[in-house]
Amino acid sequence: MKSRFLFPHWFRYLGFALFLIHIPIVMFKKEMGFSMHGEPVSDDLFNSHHIFFMTTTLLMAIGLFFIAFAKERIEDEQIFKLRLDSLQWAIYVNYILLVVSLILSKDTEHILFLNLLVPLVFFIVRFRWKIFQNNRLINKEEGQA
Amino acid sequence: MKNNIRIERAVKNITQAELAELIGVSRQTINTIESNRYVPSTVLALKIARVFGKPVEDIFSLDDED
Repeated sequence: MKSRFLFPHWFRYLGFALFLIHIPIVMFKKEMGFSMHGEPVSDDLFNSHHIFFMTTTLLMAIGLFFIAFAKERIEDEQIFKLRLDSLQWAIYVNYILLVVSLILSKDTEHILFLNLLVPLVFFIVRFRWKIFQNNRLINKEEGQA
Repeated sequence: MKNNIRIERAVKNITQAELAELIGVSRQTINTIESNRYVPSTVLALKIARVFGKPVEDIFSLDDED
């Protein structure tokens, strides 16, 4: 089955790598010379705060994007269906959270951040969980046979 | 939708993995079809029928709920 608009399988590992790289940058923010939260920053577009935000957020988001939309080893119609179902769930959850957070919070920066993360993370977790369930059923049957 | 893939496989003496490879899907997909948790597309149903050399209706049949 041909599936369009998906990255090759190895992009999943590239995605994990990008995602992992962003963690030490966040942890060692100060050591790497980025200005801390609350410190005065210049008005330039490419000030320390903005560059930090760009590198970490982009690394994380692109990493998650690659993990989410890399091909499975065997990409068949059932995987396609699981993918579509999981995407629908992810959009539902994202919009419910978005509406709730818009009502309860005025912190638009964090709402945007949440909105960036939730669909991808929820999609990945739900999709992998379904594949895990299918694999578990196969192993169970083999155990019985 | 009901199916008797498991019986046909036993007659032909092939495993889920072998059937999966013949029609180019994963073993998980064959497994979920056999246990009625996934309804295959027409294309896949026709491919499965072709492996067993039978018409689709001999392998898949409608359930009361369909």
